[in-house]
Amino acid sequence: MTFTSSRLIHRIPALLLSLGIGFFLWRGLVLPSFPHLGSTAAHYVTHTASETGASNVVAAILFDYRAFDSLGEATVIYTTVCGVALLFAGRRYRSSRRGLSFVVKRGMALMVPFILLYASTIVLMGHLTPGGGFQGGVILATITVLFCIVYGSRFEAAQINPNKKEMAESFAGLFFVGLGLVGLLGGAGFLANLRAGFPGGTPGELLSAGTIPFLNIAVGLKVGASLSTLFYSMIKILEAPSEGPPPEVFSS
Amino acid sequence: MILLSYGTAIVLFVIGLCTLLFRRNLFKIVIALSLMEGGVLLLITSMGYIPGGVPPLLPLLGEQAVNPLPQSFTLTAIVIGASDIALALAYIIKIYHHYGTVDVDKIRGLRG
Repeated sequence: MTFTSSRLIHRIPALLLSLGIGFFLWRGLVLPSFPHLGSTAAHYVTHTASETGASNVVAAILFDYRAFDSLGEATVIYTTVCGVALLFAGRRYRSSRRGLSFVVKRGMALMVPFILLYASTIVLMGHLTPGGGFQGGVILATITVLFCIVYGSRFEAAQINPNKKEMAESFAGLFFVGLGLVGLLGGAGFLANLRAGFPGGTPGELLSAGTIPFLNIAVGLKVGASLSTLFYSMIKILEAPSEGPPPEVFSS
Repeated sequence: MILLSYGTAIVLFVIGLCTLLFRRNLFKIVIALSLMEGGVLLLITSMGYIPGGVPPLLPLLGEQAVNPLPQSFTLTAIVIGASDIALALAYIIKIYHHYGTVDVDKIRGLRG
């Protein structure tokens, strides 16, 4: 990186602009903390136990009060996967079969069950403790990412077929919508939970909160499958020797 | 403490903005975008803080829970931000294959 004088002249206004924006953000956005919750948030905190049966208020907001938002969010991920798959479609890339050394492979084999356990705990206890489908799904996706890096992408594609991943994602999305339609059949509206007649259970137990655990599982599967598909579509390209980025891409 | 959180958010945002204005490498621009996104999300989460608040998990461990709404909005925004970045990186790979460079100054004109 060379600091020629003309570049410096261009940089000073940009720097001043950024610092000015930062100053006005600091003066304008830093509000004193309010001592009480707003009315909507206060309703959520006080009524979550009786209206949804969940212990985690954030999960109750995501998958009960505003479950439609979560459906839209899942659609955004689906659109991204479609876009990336479309951009890289129609080409054949060589997938690597070498991977890393023997020690790393054995260590990875030891770690996989624990990562899987961790991910499923976060997904299944999403309505009780911090966590949920989105976070657990990302941890699920790290397993396939590690597979790609440690064993090479050919092994990953052989073990977990990309078509199967897409199938899991689509079925998870359909399951989400189907649960919503069951709420509609119960006469309470799309994605209704306890009002549609789902059993609430005792708050704090594993089987409670009506549809929230099932929506968590659906979202976890969907996010895991989508993110691993995204990673796989990108690493296919980077591993092909003629198609990879040259070293100059990573210098300034 | 909460001022530190706001300050960190704004500093992250400004670092991202500077990078966005200074750098010409598309990869670094995308990293700057993700940095700015992190700053904004930290700001949103900080706004839901209530002095002396406990985590919004039932049964509450204190009298007053912090605001759960910004937390769930942040969760939504993180997922959408990750999708954005993935799509942007995919486009950059395509641009590199097409133009042979990721420098925004050298990408000129339409090459069919």
